[in-house]
Amino acid sequence: MQKSRRFFSALNKRELLLPALFLAPALAVLLALSIYPLIYSITISLQQETVAGITWGLGNFARLFSDNFFLTALGHTFIYAISALVCEFLLGLGLALLLNNQIRGRGVFRASLLIPMMLPSVVVGVVWRLMLNPNFGSINGTLKQIGINTESLTWTASPKLAMLSVIAVDVWQWTPFVFLVLLAGLQAIPQEPYEAALIDGSSRWQTFWHVTLPLLKPSILIVLLLRTMDLLRVFDQIFILTEGGPGFATETISLYIYRTAFRFFDFGYAAAMSFVLLALTNVISAIYIRLIQAEPN
Amino acid sequence: MKLTLLLTLVVVFASCTGSPQSKQLTLAVVSGVEGEALKQAAADYEKQTGTHVSVAEFPYSNLFEKELIDLKARTAAYDLIMLDDPWFPRFAHEQVLTDLTPFLQKRGKSGPDSDFVETSLALCRHPYKTGSLYALPYVGNSQLFFYRRDLFEKYLMKPPLTWDDVLAAAKTIQEKETTGANGGQVYGYVERAAQGNAAVADFMPIFWAFGGEMFDANGRPTVNSPQGIAALQFMIDLGKYSPPGYASFNADDVGAHLLQGTAAMSINWPAWISSFSDQAKSKVIGKMEFTTLPGAEKSGHAEIGNWLIAIPRDSHNAEAAVDFLLWATSAEQMKRSAQRGNPPTRKSLFQDPELVAKYPAYPAQLRSLESSRPRPRTPYWNEIENAFGIFLSKANSGDLTAEEAMNQANAEIEKILQRAQ
Repeated sequence: MQKSRRFFSALNKRELLLPALFLAPALAVLLALSIYPLIYSITISLQQETVAGITWGLGNFARLFSDNFFLTALGHTFIYAISALVCEFLLGLGLALLLNNQIRGRGVFRASLLIPMMLPSVVVGVVWRLMLNPNFGSINGTLKQIGINTESLTWTASPKLAMLSVIAVDVWQWTPFVFLVLLAGLQAIPQEPYEAALIDGSSRWQTFWHVTLPLLKPSILIVLLLRTMDLLRVFDQIFILTEGGPGFATETISLYIYRTAFRFFDFGYAAAMSFVLLALTNVISAIYIRLIQAEPN
Repeated sequence: MKLTLLLTLVVVFASCTGSPQSKQLTLAVVSGVEGEALKQAAADYEKQTGTHVSVAEFPYSNLFEKELIDLKARTAAYDLIMLDDPWFPRFAHEQVLTDLTPFLQKRGKSGPDSDFVETSLALCRHPYKTGSLYALPYVGNSQLFFYRRDLFEKYLMKPPLTWDDVLAAAKTIQEKETTGANGGQVYGYVERAAQGNAAVADFMPIFWAFGGEMFDANGRPTVNSPQGIAALQFMIDLGKYSPPGYASFNADDVGAHLLQGTAAMSINWPAWISSFSDQAKSKVIGKMEFTTLPGAEKSGHAEIGNWLIAIPRDSHNAEAAVDFLLWATSAEQMKRSAQRGNPPTRKSLFQDPELVAKYPAYPAQLRSLESSRPRPRTPYWNEIENAFGIFLSKANSGDLTAEEAMNQANAEIEKILQRAQ
């Protein structure tokens, strides 16, 4: 405190003007494109439009608790995020460990694994929608060829398989990202701890559990944090694959927010839901960040 | 220095906002065949009159939000907008459209042309049928019943007049045509029950035929009436003869099955008719027949789906916009639109010999249109249709029984209406 006061008093007006001038454009853009919309969305989340006119209050937030669609969509979002996260992490870690070794064709594997991640989600959605088509799609076509009865395998059209299908597509697309970050983390681990473990006679499992995993922890937490934030707001693939259907089986929060705002034109309620999603994402992120910082150096 | 910077900014911004030009119209249209015809008409109009018409084109899924956001913000960006008819009550309710009657009177007309089909014109009034005129109908779609004439003749069946006929025919075809489509199964019928618009559009004709009504005289939802539940049960029963996965089908899935010859009957929109005679797409050339919708306890009604053209209340060029609107919906110009593939909204054009020769289904289309019913006229239709569609889809995918689905749908619709009060 003492120090900063001295810092400011040391500066004269002229010295402050130049940095302020340089910062001004960035601040203006931030103000216009982030701060103003944020404040505006807070105000509209407190407004409810009725025939009688606009009423102010927490009505939109109160409505969340009695809205079956919202609560179901929230449940779907968590089922989707947790299942996809676990699969992507385990697969990504496995692939990273595998391709961290000196095996033949490692470069080809590494490069081709990254292709799904490079594709826009919309393209991924369209491609998988065609492949998962129960009548004309290549997946059921292949299964039929090898003699499997595909009559009940309607994938995105089946209330039981639709969620599984959209999760599988996400895993297909984003496992490479987890793999990439974890591989980078693995390659940053120095050789010395492994040599020490070898001398101490630890088994491969013990080495993995007591050397690799602790040293990889920062990378793991970062990739989990990024994936969690992305998964909670998933929109594009699901919108293309199922549009939230069949029925309501794959409707997530983002889809429901979109529908409420742009189909039902209820921006107030959509804003209220967005803030709930934002709050949840923040809480979860804070937990991750605390875990990262708790890392003893 | 600060002041100079500020002044520069002010000058830059000021020069960006130009002064409004006269003799210029801006049109918001949907991309696709409906908007394309209006776009071409706009080009013709420019040549004829010198009025410059610029066209803003949006995909169907964005058009509603673009238009409503713009009109509510009163930017006056558009002088004419294309509206899908279920959106009309919302726009009229928000009071963002121009009442056309004074403009017509000024031009010596007491009202819109009597040549327009009554059911189409009724959509343009708020309240429905009786109120002031806020739009004119441009494209006159209404559902038709599609069926395979060759298969009906093969099994000596008459064209279906009731939904029971349809069910019986679907059963016969499904049981006998096991190698009909390139050695594969021909399904008796193809329904579409993806949540939202698809399920609701496919269900409404059955619902109405069974005597169901969405709202009672006091505007309270009644979808879970015994008739409503029976209608949904019928849709599920008919689904046994529909290709697997139909609970997530949209119009294009239905079209694909019919074109491939893998399904024998369906409800669909007239826009699909021309593709059945297209060598590249169709395996059923000359085999399809189009007729009005079957009945049950009540006579059959198609769902109407018209494109309307309206003038935003804040348009700076209302007079010029009215001139264009009357020109574009005149018999002469609408005939050109019809030749470009859009069903007209004028009786005279449905009977025009030249057009009937090109579009043999026109007599059936006119009968269907004249006896059609609109989706319930409520500003909250998008939200109601979404909720209703979810439960219809769930019932068709086997998640809920017909009764559970209708009870839950009724409760959700009730909630939507209560919130609006």
